Amino acid sequence: MRRQLITAAALAAFATAGTASAQDYPFRDITTVVVWGAGGGTDSINRMIMAEMEKFLPVGISVTNVTGGVAGSNGMVHVMNQADDGYTLVGLSESNVTAAVQGGWDQRFDFWHPFIVGGSPDLISVPASSEYQTLQDLIDAAKASPGEVLAAASGAGSIHHLNLLALENGTGAEFRFIPYGGSAPSQEAALAGEVVAVVTSLAEQAPLIEGGELRPLAMLVPGSAEIAGTTVPSAFDMFDGLDKYLPLSQSIGFAVHASAPDNVKAVLTEAFEQAMAADAVTSWAADNYYVLSGLSGPAASEVFSTLESTFAWTLYELDATEVDPSTLGIEKP
Amino acid sequence: MDSVLTQLAGFGAAFANLASDPATYVYLVASVFLGIVFGALPGLTATLAVTILTGFFGNKIPLEQSLIALIGAYVGAIYGGSYPSILLNIPGTAASAATAMDGHPLARQGKGGEALGLTTTASFIGTIFGTIFLLLFVWLLLAISRNITSPEKCLLALFGVLLSGTLMSEDLALKGWISGLIGLSMAMVGLDPILSETRFTFGWSYLMSGFQVVPVLMGAFAIPQIVDGMRATLLAPEPPPVGRITPSLREIGRRLPTIGRSGVIGTGIGALPGVGEDVAGWVSYGVGKAASREGHLFGKGSRDGLISAEAANNAAIGGALIPLLVLGIPGSPPAAALLGALKINNVIPGPTIDPGLILHIVAILVMASLTMMLMGLLTARVFILVLRIPRTVFLPIVLVLTTIGSFSVGGGINDLYLMLGVGAVATLMGIMHYPIAPLVIGVILGGLFDETFRRTLLVSDGDLSVFVTRPGACILLVLNVALILSQVGIVKRGFGRLMGRSA
Repeated sequence: MRRQLITAAALAAFATAGTASAQDYPFRDITTVVVWGAGGGTDSINRMIMAEMEKFLPVGISVTNVTGGVAGSNGMVHVMNQADDGYTLVGLSESNVTAAVQGGWDQRFDFWHPFIVGGSPDLISVPASSEYQTLQDLIDAAKASPGEVLAAASGAGSIHHLNLLALENGTGAEFRFIPYGGSAPSQEAALAGEVVAVVTSLAEQAPLIEGGELRPLAMLVPGSAEIAGTTVPSAFDMFDGLDKYLPLSQSIGFAVHASAPDNVKAVLTEAFEQAMAADAVTSWAADNYYVLSGLSGPAASEVFSTLESTFAWTLYELDATEVDPSTLGIEKP
Repeated sequence: MDSVLTQLAGFGAAFANLASDPATYVYLVASVFLGIVFGALPGLTATLAVTILTGFFGNKIPLEQSLIALIGAYVGAIYGGSYPSILLNIPGTAASAATAMDGHPLARQGKGGEALGLTTTASFIGTIFGTIFLLLFVWLLLAISRNITSPEKCLLALFGVLLSGTLMSEDLALKGWISGLIGLSMAMVGLDPILSETRFTFGWSYLMSGFQVVPVLMGAFAIPQIVDGMRATLLAPEPPPVGRITPSLREIGRRLPTIGRSGVIGTGIGALPGVGEDVAGWVSYGVGKAASREGHLFGKGSRDGLISAEAANNAAIGGALIPLLVLGIPGSPPAAALLGALKINNVIPGPTIDPGLILHIVAILVMASLTMMLMGLLTARVFILVLRIPRTVFLPIVLVLTTIGSFSVGGGINDLYLMLGVGAVATLMGIMHYPIAPLVIGVILGGLFDETFRRTLLVSDGDLSVFVTRPGACILLVLNVALILSQVGIVKRGFGRLMGRSA
C-alpha cells in the first residue's frame, strides 16, 4: 500500500513537473533474485538492504529466491537471461565465484556489476566442554597427531573451508577436514561432539557463543573481537606468517548486469549508498556481528576478482574443479 | 517440577495475550486458509507457503504478527496435504504420503467425509498432545537431539526407507525395499555432498543439482493416478457418497490412545534436526501397525492407520520448532524458512533467545491448530465435492496443477521431463504391484543417508564399528536388522512357532 502511494505520488510529481519522461529508471518495481535459500545470510542481508533501498527509490523491490545448481548457478543463469535493464537484480555472495570452475555456468564473475553490503569475519571455535583453551593448544594437538584432529566447516571450497586451509598453511598444523552442508550443521556437529573444532562466521556462531555452548579460540582476521563480555584474540597475533594467506573476507551483496546502462548503475549506487548510511542498516550490522563494506562498481569488482582467483585455484589444487581456471582466463592469485 | 509449572503458567499468559488480540484472528484465518490451499494443491509444499509469506511480510509488519501468519500457513499446509491424499490418493505434500495408505481406501468405501473429519480432529488433538509433551520435556528432547550425530542420522534415514518399503508392500516386503533402493540410487545423482564431485551426470549440468523431490513426488503419485483414473472411469462412473464429516465424541474417545501416541511420536521425530514431517508420518504409521488392535487392517482403510499418520505429521511441527528456537537449527525444511523470517526481524534463535518468544510461538501453534480444525471441518465439505466432479474433467485439471507444482521448484522444463519419466516408471511399477512411496522416500532420505554415512566413515577413518559402539546408533542398527529379519520367511515362521508355544 505504502509502495503504491509512493509510486502514485511519484507519478503525480512527474505529471505536474512535466520534465521527466516515462523512461526514467526506475519506473516499475524491481525484483531481486537471491541465489541462496530463504533464511541464509545472503537472503537475510538482501531482504534487509532492499527494504532500506526501497525508501530511497520511487518503486518497490521484491525479493525472491531461485536456488540450486552449482554454487548458485540456477539463480545467476536465471538473472543473466533477464533483460539488463536493472529491473532484475541478483542477490549473491563470495561463494558464487566458483560457479564457473565448477561447471555451473560459463561466465566470469565480471559479468556482474556488484554492490557489497558486507560480511561477517570467520573464527575458529571449540565446544564449551573441550579440553582446548587456546588456539595454541589446538594447533599443538593437531601438530602432535597430524590429520587426527577433526575440524568442521561448510562444504569443500566454501569461504570457511578456505579459511581453515589458510590456517593450516600459516601454522603448519594438519587437521582432518570434515565438510558439512552449511554452517548450521557444522556448528551442530561441534556441539554434538562429532568434531573437535569448527570454522564459521561470527554472525553464525554468536548465539552459541553468547549461550555458552561454543568457546571462541581466535578470529581469523587481523583484529580481535568483543563478544559475550570477552575478547576473542586474533590468530594473526599468535602466528607469524598468517597474513600471507589471510584474511579472506566474506562478501555478501547484490549485483546488476555489468552491461546495464550507466544511469541505472548510478541510480542504484545512490540508493545503495543512502541505505548503507541508514541507522537501520548500521544497527542491524552491529547487532548481528557483520562488518559493513559499502563498496560498489569497480572497487567491488576488484574484491570479487581476488576472491574468484583465490577460490578457483584453491579448488583446482584440491582437484574439485570441472573446468581448468586458466581456460576461463582466471589468473593465479 | 517447579520449572514445569512455570512453563505452563507462562504458556497460559502468552496464550491469553494472543487470544485477546483481535488482530490475531485476522492473520490466523487468512494464513491457515492459504496454507490449506497450498497443502491441498499437489506439488505446492509447506516450505513454499512459508517462504512466500516470509517474502510478503518480511520486516514490514511486527514479528509477533508475522509469526502468526507464518506458523498458521505452516500448520495449514501440513494439514491440507491430507485432502488430496485421502480423496485422490495423490499426497499433496510428501508429509502426507502415509496418510493416503488408509485414507484413500476409506474414501473409496464411501467414508471420505468421515476420513476427513477424523484426520482434522486427530491432527488438532495430536498437536495439543505434542505441545504439552513439548512444554514438559523441551530440555530432554533437546539433550537427545543434540547427541544425534552422523551415524544415528544415517541409520534413521535407512530405517525410514526400509520401514516404508515394508509397510507399503501388498505382497512381498522385498518389493518395497527394491523400490526404496531405486529411490536411494536416484538420490546419488548430482554433486556429491562431501567433496562436490559430480556423479552420474553424464556431463549434463541439469543433473548436477540432483533430482528435485517435488517433480519426483508428482511423477510418482499423480501420473499413475491419472493414468489409472482415466482407464477406470469407463468402468466405475458412480462417485462415492460423502457421508458424515464431524466425527462423534465417542469415536474420538475410542481413538484417543492412538492420537496421543502419534502426537508424541510426531513431536519426537520432528525435534531431530534435519528429519521432519515426512518421516514422522511413516514412523508413527509403522508403530501404529504394531501397537494397534486393528494392525492387520492397516492399508485397507483402517481409521487407526489414518490417524497414526496424520496426527503425527501435524505434531511434528511443534517438534521441529524446538531445535530451531533453542539451538538455531531447523528441524525441517519449512522450519528453515521460518528461521529466515526470524533473522530478518533481527531475532537470532539459539540459546540466547527470549524465553517469552518461545512461549508466544507455542501459543500461536495451539491457536493455529484450533483454527485449522474449525476451518478444516468447514472446508472439508467443499473439498469433498471434487469427488462429484467427473474424473474425465477433474484428472486433466490435476495434471495441469501437478505440472505447475513441478515447475515451481525452478529447474525449468527439465523438471517436467523428470516428472513424466518418473511417472512412466511408477505406472509400470504399479502394474507389477511394486509400491511407489518407498521410491519417493528413498529420494527424500537418500541424500541424508549418503551424506551421513560417508561422513561417519570420514570421522571414524573408515572404521565401521562406530555403528555398534555408539549407544544410539546401536539401538537403531538393531531396529534396522530386526525389521529386515522380520520379513525373512524362516525367521518369521520360527518366531511364530515360538509365540505359539509360549502362549
